[in-house]
Amino acid sequence: MNKGYFIKGALLLLIPWYIISFTFSIPIVPFPHLVLMEAFSELIKGEVLLHLLISLYRVLSGILFALLIAIPLGIVMGLKNTTNKLFTPIIYLFQPVPKIALLPIFLVLFGIGDLSKILIVSMVIFFPAVLMIKDSVAEINYNYVELAKAYHLSKNQVLKDIILPSILPSIFSTLRISVGISLSVLFFSENFATSYGIGYYIMNSWIMVNYLKMYTGIVFISLLGIFLYKSIEIIEKKLMPWKSATPSNRT
Amino acid sequence: MIRIEKASFNYGSVEVFKNLNITIKEQNNISIVGHSGCGKTSLLYCIKGLKTLSEGTIYLDGISQKDIGLLFQEDRLLPWKTVRNNILLGLDKNLDVQQYIDMVGLKGHENKYPAQLSGGERQRVALARVLVRQPKLLLLDEPTASLDELTKESLQDSILKLSKELKMSLILVTHHIEEAVYMGDRVIIFGDQMKEIDTIGNNRLSEKYFENVKQVRLALKGRAHE
Repeated sequence: MNKGYFIKGALLLLIPWYIISFTFSIPIVPFPHLVLMEAFSELIKGEVLLHLLISLYRVLSGILFALLIAIPLGIVMGLKNTTNKLFTPIIYLFQPVPKIALLPIFLVLFGIGDLSKILIVSMVIFFPAVLMIKDSVAEINYNYVELAKAYHLSKNQVLKDIILPSILPSIFSTLRISVGISLSVLFFSENFATSYGIGYYIMNSWIMVNYLKMYTGIVFISLLGIFLYKSIEIIEKKLMPWKSATPSNRT
Repeated sequence: MIRIEKASFNYGSVEVFKNLNITIKEQNNISIVGHSGCGKTSLLYCIKGLKTLSEGTIYLDGISQKDIGLLFQEDRLLPWKTVRNNILLGLDKNLDVQQYIDMVGLKGHENKYPAQLSGGERQRVALARVLVRQPKLLLLDEPTASLDELTKESLQDSILKLSKELKMSLILVTHHIEEAVYMGDRVIIFGDQMKEIDTIGNNRLSEKYFENVKQVRLALKGRAHE
């Protein structure tokens, strides 16, 4: 990240925050430097790290689980019209439902432990992912299909050499769009039947009227978001090196 | 090597070509010219097994489908694969393809992606990708259509040189009469009643070459007035 832009961006956030804190002068809007000091002290104590790691574990497991189902299902739906016709109405039916509304059902079905929280995150990622993957498989250039036939590629080779690289951009677009929403959903779900997770940490601090700690949690959940976005970017560059290759201007 | 008998091809209810008979012997290059939509590319695709004839038969004598290579009009390189991996598409990753990369003049470009190459270079990669499979018959579907004149001539020379070295026969489909005459031992003018013109032993600057170009042009014009 460019250092100059980082400083400008930070100022854009901190100046209004200082103005609001100064204007209202109430404990629920503490000064940013006090929050930062609290954040350092919490980091040294290590407790917040445990909450962060548990939330990270839940969100990563949720993403992986969603992709594990969405990738094969999306590919089959993109290739087979009958599977597409069977699953598309179900997906369209569930896609607009706010996933957090399903939390009570998930808590009953999958228990109050990590599984229900992981599955609710999965739901956020799964629906857009399966639709994007299905569409990108269906839109694979017919030239490549003919190429595969002309070169006598096996089904596995078609999957590995043509289908999977074709759907990678869709997978990463979905992740970029959904990871923020999945963190919001996770935050909400961590308010029920758990004593761990950054969502619990924030809401518990609020209930205990410890606003500095509450803001510390908000700062850390934002940092968790940045970490996830950056990780997606790094993995995307690693898995799709052709995207960042300098193009030729020659014809 | 290959015999096409009474071949007809319909695209839906439209008759593209009918009652076609062509024989191609080993190490014999033929060029096919004709107007747009007369079925030249469809014929190549039928030979390669990508399309099915409506009627008639294509007999392969001493070769199998895997011995037939097809160089498409567009390079059809996979953008996510490097030059080397595009050439190795569907083959053992440990196969040494360097000689083919050198053959098509792309030494030093092995690890580049298609987006980093020029149009001519991309078509050369596509050529290497066909050649590495050592086909006995190479089908060329307007392979130089999108290239400038000099790149076009250079690629034509490379294809001819390699076809001799690797003892391949060529079937070239093209819109360019000069290309058809230069590349083919004979030129087939595609249409209801096919005409064949012997064009063997051409040199771009010889009188015979210009005479053959004239003959093919006249035959093609005649076809237009039929």
